Amino acid sequence: MTAIDAGQPVLAAPERRRPIGLLLVAVPVLLVIWLIIWPIISAVIQTVWVKTPEGGNSFSVETYRFFFSDGYSLSNLSITLWTTGVCAILLLVVCLPIALYLRFSDSKVAAYVQGLAIFPMFVPSIILSFAFIRVLGPNGTVDLVFNAVGLPKIRSPYLTPWGPVIGLVWDNIPLTVLILLSGLGNVSNQAIEAARDVGAGKLALLWHIILPRISNSVLVAISFAVLGIFSAFTLPYVLGPAAPEMMGPFMQRTFRELFEPQTAITQAVITFGFCIVFGLFYVRSVARNQAP
Amino acid sequence: MKRRDFMLAAGTFAGALMLPRMSFGAEGVIDVYFSSDQNVIDFWTNVVKPKFEAANAGVTLNLVDGGDGAGVAAIGDRALAAMASGADPQADLFEGFDTRVTVDGIAKGLYVDFETAGLSNYGKINPLAFDIPTNLPYRGSQVLLAYDTTKLDPANAPKTWPDLVAWIKANPGQFIYNRPNKGGSGGNFVRRAILEANGKDPSKFAVDNYTAEAGEAMLNPAWDILMDLAPSLFDGGAYTSGNTQSIQLLGQSAVTMIPAWSDQALSAIAQGVLPETTGLVQLSDLGLPGGFTKLAVLTNGVNKDAALKLADFLLTEEIQSAVLTELGGFPGVSWEHVSPELREKFADIIPTTIPTFPGGDWEKAINDGWYRAVAPNVDPAS
Repeated sequence: MTAIDAGQPVLAAPERRRPIGLLLVAVPVLLVIWLIIWPIISAVIQTVWVKTPEGGNSFSVETYRFFFSDGYSLSNLSITLWTTGVCAILLLVVCLPIALYLRFSDSKVAAYVQGLAIFPMFVPSIILSFAFIRVLGPNGTVDLVFNAVGLPKIRSPYLTPWGPVIGLVWDNIPLTVLILLSGLGNVSNQAIEAARDVGAGKLALLWHIILPRISNSVLVAISFAVLGIFSAFTLPYVLGPAAPEMMGPFMQRTFRELFEPQTAITQAVITFGFCIVFGLFYVRSVARNQAP
Repeated sequence: MKRRDFMLAAGTFAGALMLPRMSFGAEGVIDVYFSSDQNVIDFWTNVVKPKFEAANAGVTLNLVDGGDGAGVAAIGDRALAAMASGADPQADLFEGFDTRVTVDGIAKGLYVDFETAGLSNYGKINPLAFDIPTNLPYRGSQVLLAYDTTKLDPANAPKTWPDLVAWIKANPGQFIYNRPNKGGSGGNFVRRAILEANGKDPSKFAVDNYTAEAGEAMLNPAWDILMDLAPSLFDGGAYTSGNTQSIQLLGQSAVTMIPAWSDQALSAIAQGVLPETTGLVQLSDLGLPGGFTKLAVLTNGVNKDAALKLADFLLTEEIQSAVLTELGGFPGVSWEHVSPELREKFADIIPTTIPTFPGGDWEKAINDGWYRAVAPNVDPAS
């Protein structure tokens, strides 16, 4: 992940360019073209170049017109955007303090905090889903604890749009913390001490010294989280409401249970269209950092 | 061992594993292919196989997981091809199989006609379960209502659809069913509502009579029934995403009643996932839909006679009682052919009718229509 090391000075290009470098990257590039780029192109072609009843093919944007005029599909798209946006904000709110703590703390506790923060990476999401129902679901552990100390019953987030939000945030903490942490590695102690010497407060330090230096990492972390969340399947499927559905379960249902591959591919292309925007953010920030 | 030697040895070993294993249908080894889940294969391994082999010296069962319906269907196609060339199909019995799946299979006589096969227990089969003579029903499963007897006295448990609707409305938040495409318990609850909206007549629905107009006319009233229930469901209209999640909510005492598969509910009670105090009840005006699992025996299998003996053995009281107690399914035989204690114990769930519902276009229409009409929880009047 070169993005994580972004910000380091780019090595000066060697004077004689050899083809070995190009050969080394040829295999992954070809794989990406074969397994990712080509399927995307073919999906786009399949949705706009459709079979006519007479047996020929013709250009048509009917499936897209249907998607964007169908209230049900649009509400699925908007819940996906909402979930992604809320998750991205919550992830920053949760992960930035953890990353700051891990970067600037010297105590032994920090190692345990780091272990805890990375832990969700090792929990498969289907197990997380059922554990979520046990803990945060109705009459789950949280309800039992609240009841034991005389607090009122909470309305469980299970089967509401907040169910997937909580699950997805928990699931994405490790990656976000790791990316932010690597970004914080670029903030030198000297810069912070210098700022402190001239009397900067903690907030000023964060706002004027730390955030500008890690803005790139923040962007990368958010792009990664958003790309994963936008097409999430298991957590929205098990924890979310029946309708509106997020795009992941919606595409799967359209394909497997309604037997409408054309519609499912259209949904996929639209999903991809939104993801590519975040992908471009990521690519742009990497490119900007590598520019001399 | 040097690294090089080790690599060579490992490579040879892996290669040997990957070689196609040669096998021939052997005399005395009945090859059984399964489309059912692991719990059914476990039942055969632990109950059917030892009992049958003990009773029939010299005969053993080879239980093969066919993966799914398509997997066993492929073996059926191979058996048909083997029949044409007079070869050995290397298979004798299919579990969880509909002989109609093999194109031309029945017409060419690939499958044993059980009406003329002379099974001594054939007459015991539940009349509700009969389908076509080449399919032998041996166990059943039906969706029923599972409820918490500590909150609902079994004497007051709803026994008809109007009772159930009245109970759900009188106890808001205490009932939940899963999305109809994510598991048969909610799926068949929805189908029961569809039957309710169509005069409780399952014969109105056939695999080939779906049209867009019929779908609209027959399904929309059912969506109205379900929409009407929605505000009284758990959380004002929430739907779990599978059979297991519904059982989990009943187990956590978050709801009082759910629709559940009979076998899943019985095994959940046996395993302690659901408490001992769980009650089961079936609607008596028209049961929630379900179905029977069928067997097929190949006419060209090497062990056809032994396989028929096995099919007959499956219908004995011993195995049929075990289907109830060990597998948690329904017996394929009529209830008077299981032991009286068991009949007493399961009295509430003995079905008088097992309505079935076709798949195909109807299923697709239900999966789409329910999501659009019922799931969004939007009051059409507002």
